[in-house]
Amino acid sequence: MILSAARRRLQSRAFAEEQAPEMVASRSFWADAGQRFMRNRMAIFSVGMLGLLILFSIFGNLFSRWSFEEIDWNVLGRIKEDGGPSLENGHWFGVDELGRDLYARVVQGTRTSLLVGFIAGPVSVLLGATLGALSGYYGGRFDRTVLGAYTIWLAIPYIIFFVVWQAFFGRSMSQMIMVIILVNWTAGLLIVRGQVMMLKNREFVDAARMLGMSDTKIIFRHLAPNVLWVVVIYTSLVIPEVIMMESLVSFLGVGIQEPNTSIGALLSQGASTMTFGTLWQLGFPAAIFVIAQVSLFYIGDGLRDALDPKER
Amino acid sequence: MLNYTLRRLLMVVPTLLILVIFAFYLMRLAPGGPFTSERPLPPAVMANVLERYGMDEPLHVQLWTYVSNIVCCFDFGPSFSQKDRSVNDVIAQGFPVTLTYGFWSAVFVLLLGVPLGIIAALRHNGFWDYTMTGLAIFSQIFPNFVLAPLLVLLFTLSWGLLPGGGWNGGQWQYIVMPAIALGTSYMASVARLTRGSMLEVLGSPYIRTARAKGLPERTIILRHALKPALLPTLTYMGPVFVYMITGSVFVDVFFSTGGIGQDFINGAYSRDYAILLGLAILYAVLTFVLTLMVDLLYAWIDPKVRAGLS
Repeated sequence: MILSAARRRLQSRAFAEEQAPEMVASRSFWADAGQRFMRNRMAIFSVGMLGLLILFSIFGNLFSRWSFEEIDWNVLGRIKEDGGPSLENGHWFGVDELGRDLYARVVQGTRTSLLVGFIAGPVSVLLGATLGALSGYYGGRFDRTVLGAYTIWLAIPYIIFFVVWQAFFGRSMSQMIMVIILVNWTAGLLIVRGQVMMLKNREFVDAARMLGMSDTKIIFRHLAPNVLWVVVIYTSLVIPEVIMMESLVSFLGVGIQEPNTSIGALLSQGASTMTFGTLWQLGFPAAIFVIAQVSLFYIGDGLRDALDPKER
Repeated sequence: MLNYTLRRLLMVVPTLLILVIFAFYLMRLAPGGPFTSERPLPPAVMANVLERYGMDEPLHVQLWTYVSNIVCCFDFGPSFSQKDRSVNDVIAQGFPVTLTYGFWSAVFVLLLGVPLGIIAALRHNGFWDYTMTGLAIFSQIFPNFVLAPLLVLLFTLSWGLLPGGGWNGGQWQYIVMPAIALGTSYMASVARLTRGSMLEVLGSPYIRTARAKGLPERTIILRHALKPALLPTLTYMGPVFVYMITGSVFVDVFFSTGGIGQDFINGAYSRDYAILLGLAILYAVLTFVLTLMVDLLYAWIDPKVRAGLS
């Protein structure tokens, strides 16, 4: 009797209307995290800066009077005196040591670095996370093989891969992205593996298995949404790292093919000529690099604060 | 404990073998080689050169010779690009340099990073805490390849205090900048790690007990809090120490120290497989051995871990 009264109350229209506002107001984890992120002023400002940088790399060329590979013969040989930043001859950022317009080259280099970061970073994390999830879920021999490969991989200096890959496929940007993904397949592997190992013994996974779901479905439909927050945080850390890796290998001269350039290659050229007093060649690429790294750092920081469940 | 150490050491052998086989085939199967140049050598000369370096035999025979030479005589073969020098010579000359500034860099990291982290934790949300956070961000933004030119710009070009590169037998003036450039980002990480774990330890019940007993603050921190707080830092320092003593390739190249990083990059340019492989093996051995040492140190410090091993 009491039970049916309770049922009647639950099914009544009045109850539904009473509960409706609260149900509408309750937000998902992601909406919550989104709101927390939006409240973080530094992170939002950084998103804006990064947006400007992306716009600069796409549309910057519209304001340039020179192309990035054209040599200005008027200043060649007198670069220290005439090659500095100037409004008159259209070299907003001056020229590089070969007399090419630095502004156009910085635009091109920014584009390369951002493309490499935003493609190679997420893809390698996805690759590592997938392997980590499989390895954590299945365990056993597969897990040991993956971990063994992981150990060996980290013990090989990664520059070897860049050199060998270039011998096979050349030094274009798409090859650069591919080899960076290949080198970084270990990104996020351990952390996702740990998470999955922890989650796979939880009741909802048992329930899914009882329902007769396949392993693939359990991993990608039920476990993946639960580790997504880790993957997002990790990706935000890997993107600046990847940009840095690209810059470093370009600095060392095994990066992208001339006349294409990247921020790292520009930094390297700037550093090699600074003894001659042409400091703008180091300053402008360094400034762009710092802006990109600072904003990515604060975006990552904001994401971590917004998504880390300890904060919930 | 001994059992565990032996087991770990035995694991190193097959791992290294896999690494050598993998890297060997990877490099040999790539098109081009140390003797291909713009102007191709006459076939007869090429055949002679290949024979001189034993490269005319099938790959698996070469691999076998390479590995057995290392096992029996510790001989890593001749360098392809530097005539009349063996890989052993190259490493013997370059590694001490890298080891020296890497060591000082590690000293710099520990002597500055750990105290900074402890002070930041003790003055939580105070001046030193913010200084440290600032430093952490700074080091994230200025990786060594941006920091090194800046250092040279300041110390060499503007103030003329330190030489901008070279080694000169390892006088201290030549060590300072490579060590700082190599260590700064790790120093910030160490400070951040130490701060985090110190804060955690200081908030734990046994520290409250120690305070309640009326122990002086100094004893609480040095005797009770420090040891457990340094464990994460220790774990982190293992791989970092390997990076440091193998040196950053970049630091070697930028400061022209003559360390193994420079040999590595030259080997990469000239496709000198022998040097690349030799250095990769050195790097891997150091990684494995140092990780093992850190694990053992960990067990020595933490009784819980020690119980888990035996």
